[in-house]
Amino acid sequence: MKIALCSSFVPFVYGGARNIVEWLESTLLAEGHQVERIYLPHIDTPDQLLSQMAAYRWVDLEAADRVICFRPPAHFIPHPNKVLWFIHHVRAFYDLWDSPYRNFPDDRRNRTIRDALHEADTRAINEARAVFTNSAVVSQRLRQYNGIDSEVLYPPIFDAGRFHCQGFNDEVVYICRVEHHKRQHLLVEAMRHTQTPVRLRLCGSASGADYMEELHATVHRYGLESRVCIDNRWITEEQKVDYLANCLAAAYLPLDEDSYGYPSLEASHAGKPILTTTDSGGVLELVENGRNGLICDPLPEALGAALDRLYDDRHATERMGQAARDRLDELGINWARVLNRLLA
Amino acid sequence: MKILVVNNMAPFLWGGAEELAVHLQRNLIAAGHQSEVLRIPFRWEPAACIPSQMLMVRAFELWNVDRVIALKFPAYLIRHPHKTLWLLHQYRQAYDLLEVGQTNLPPGDIGAAIRDAIKAADNESFEESKRIFVNSKVTQTRLKKYNGFDSTVLLPPINDPEMFVGGAPQGYIFAGGRVNSMKRQYLLVEALAKSAASVRLVIAGPPDSPDDVLRLEMLVEKYGLSDRVKLDLRFLSREEYAAYLNAASAVAYLPYDEDSLGYVAMEAAMAGKALITARDSGGILGLVRDGETGWVVEPEPESLAQAMSAACVDSASVVRRGDGARSLWLQMNISWQSTIERLLA
Repeated sequence: MKIALCSSFVPFVYGGARNIVEWLESTLLAEGHQVERIYLPHIDTPDQLLSQMAAYRWVDLEAADRVICFRPPAHFIPHPNKVLWFIHHVRAFYDLWDSPYRNFPDDRRNRTIRDALHEADTRAINEARAVFTNSAVVSQRLRQYNGIDSEVLYPPIFDAGRFHCQGFNDEVVYICRVEHHKRQHLLVEAMRHTQTPVRLRLCGSASGADYMEELHATVHRYGLESRVCIDNRWITEEQKVDYLANCLAAAYLPLDEDSYGYPSLEASHAGKPILTTTDSGGVLELVENGRNGLICDPLPEALGAALDRLYDDRHATERMGQAARDRLDELGINWARVLNRLLA
Repeated sequence: MKILVVNNMAPFLWGGAEELAVHLQRNLIAAGHQSEVLRIPFRWEPAACIPSQMLMVRAFELWNVDRVIALKFPAYLIRHPHKTLWLLHQYRQAYDLLEVGQTNLPPGDIGAAIRDAIKAADNESFEESKRIFVNSKVTQTRLKKYNGFDSTVLLPPINDPEMFVGGAPQGYIFAGGRVNSMKRQYLLVEALAKSAASVRLVIAGPPDSPDDVLRLEMLVEKYGLSDRVKLDLRFLSREEYAAYLNAASAVAYLPYDEDSLGYVAMEAAMAGKALITARDSGGILGLVRDGETGWVVEPEPESLAQAMSAACVDSASVVRRGDGARSLWLQMNISWQSTIERLLA
C-alpha cells in the first residue's frame, strides 16, 4: 500500500511526536509498504492559526492509498482514506486555555479564533475513516471538546527487543528531557528524605540552562553529591539500554502528560518498575500502584518513602519489574496490533 | 546555524532534486551546521490545482530557522527573512515550455490567469530572496529573460564521486536515469537498429509510467533487437548504477532541452566515459564538446547511430573523448565543500 504519514513539526526540535511517526514508518517499510513521511511546519500562535489550517487543507496527497495523520493540523489534509492517530490538540486552545501555558490574552478575538478552531477541528476529524489516539486522556478530550469517539491505540517503542534486565543495583534512573514539567526537581528533593542508601541518576538535556542550574543547586544545598548523579546530555541508545538493564527502577513523573511516555515503556521492556505520581496523567494508564510500579503523591516526602521502599523490598521491586513486562501484553502495546488497526 | 533546506516532493517519487537536497543537508551538517529538509508535496496535474498549492506554501509559518535554502517551485515561495535560492528550475510550463506549446496550463483565460499568478509569485519570491543561485546557465538565462532577475551559476556537485572510477569498456552504450519520453531513450533504440551490429545498448533506470516501458519494449521487438538491448527498467541501487556506468564504452544522455548538466553526464565524465548527446539537450552541452568529450548529434536515429557505432568501434577515439570529458569535469572544480561555502557566503 502507498501510505503517507503526515504530521506537523518545528524544525530542529526532536522528540516523541517524531518518534511515533518515524517508528511507524520503519515498521511499515519492513512490512513492504511504500511510505512517504511528510512533516510540515506549524506554530500555534492565534494570528497564524487559521491561515495555517488553510495551508494544510491545500496539501494534495491523492497519490497515496492511505493517509495517516498525527500532530495537528495534519488532520486538515483532505483524503478519502484518512486515518488519524491523534496525539494531541493545539492544547493552548483546548485543555490548557485556563492555564499558564496559554501565552496570549483571553479576549473576544482569541475566543473567536478558539471557537473557529474547535469547529474546524471537529469537521476535519469527522472526515477520517477511523480515529485513534495515543492515550485515554486524549480520547477523553476528543469526546469532551469535539464530541468524537475514538479508539486508544497505544504507541509502542521501536526495536523493543534491545531492552533487557541484567539485575537490580541501587539506582533509580530518570531518562528524559530535563524540563520543569518533567519535574526532576521533585526527585532530587525527595532524596533528602530517604533513609536508605538509594541513589538517583538523571539523564537528559535541558532546553534552557535555568532549570538545570536549579537542580544542581538543590543537590549542593542538601549535600546530595554522592547519591545524585546528573548526566546533563542526550545519552546514547546503548547507554540507555545499559542503565535500564541494571537499575533498581525507573522514574517518570511529568505533570499531567497525555500519554504514558516512552520512558515508561522502555523501563517496562527492561523489566523495571516505574515510579510515578498521582498527577502524571497518561502514565497512570500504564502503571498500577504496587503491581508494575509505585504511584505516590507529587511531594518530596512521599517520593522519598517510595524510593526507600524500592530499595528495601527487593523482592517486591523485582516482582513489579516482571509485572511491568506483562502489563505491556495486557494493553496490547505492540506493532502488530498498531498496523492491524491503522490499515484496517 | 540552523539551516532548513526547502524542496518539493512528488509523493512516492524520488528523483535527482530529492537526492540533491539530502546531500546538501548532509554536507551542511558536515560543515558544522544543523540542517533539516522540508519537503513540500506538490502536484501539478491538473494545472488548476497549482494556485492553491502556491498559497499553501506561502501560508506555512517557519520558526526556529536561521536560514532557508530553497530549491524548486513552489517550495521557494516559502516566507523567511533570510532565504537563499538555489534554483533548480522554475515552473517551466508557465515559461519556456509554454512558448513551445508543451504546457499543461489550460488554454484561454484560466491558463493565462494561472501563468500570471505563477509569474507574480515568482517575482515576489525572487525579490525577497537574499541571494539567487541557479544550477545552470540555461536556468540563469531563463530567469533573466522571463523574470528579469540576475543570478549566479552554482553547479551541483556529484554526491558520491568515489563510486565513478571508470573501467575497461565492454562494448555497450549506457543510458541511465529516469526513463520517459522527455529523456528520449526511445531514440537510442531506433538508432541502434541503424548502427553497427556490434553495438549493444543498456537502458537502466526507473520508468515514469508503464507506457514508457511499453514503448521501449515494442521498439525492441519491432526492430528485432532483443539480443543487443538490455532494458533494466527499475530503480537501481547506486552500486548497480555505477557498475553499469563504469563498464560502458560511452554514455548516452539526450533529454529534450534540460536545464542542468545532469548527474548522468557528470558521473559519466567523472568515470572518464565519452558522452553522446543531442544538439537540443540543453544543460548537458556544457560538458559535451563534439570531438573532444563526446558526440553532439541531431536528435534523430541516423546521426545518433553514427555516434553509437563510432563509440563502440573506434576505441582510440572513444578513450580520447572519455579522457577529455574527465579533464573538463575536473577543471570545473565542483565539490560539496566549495558549494556550501558559496551558498552561505
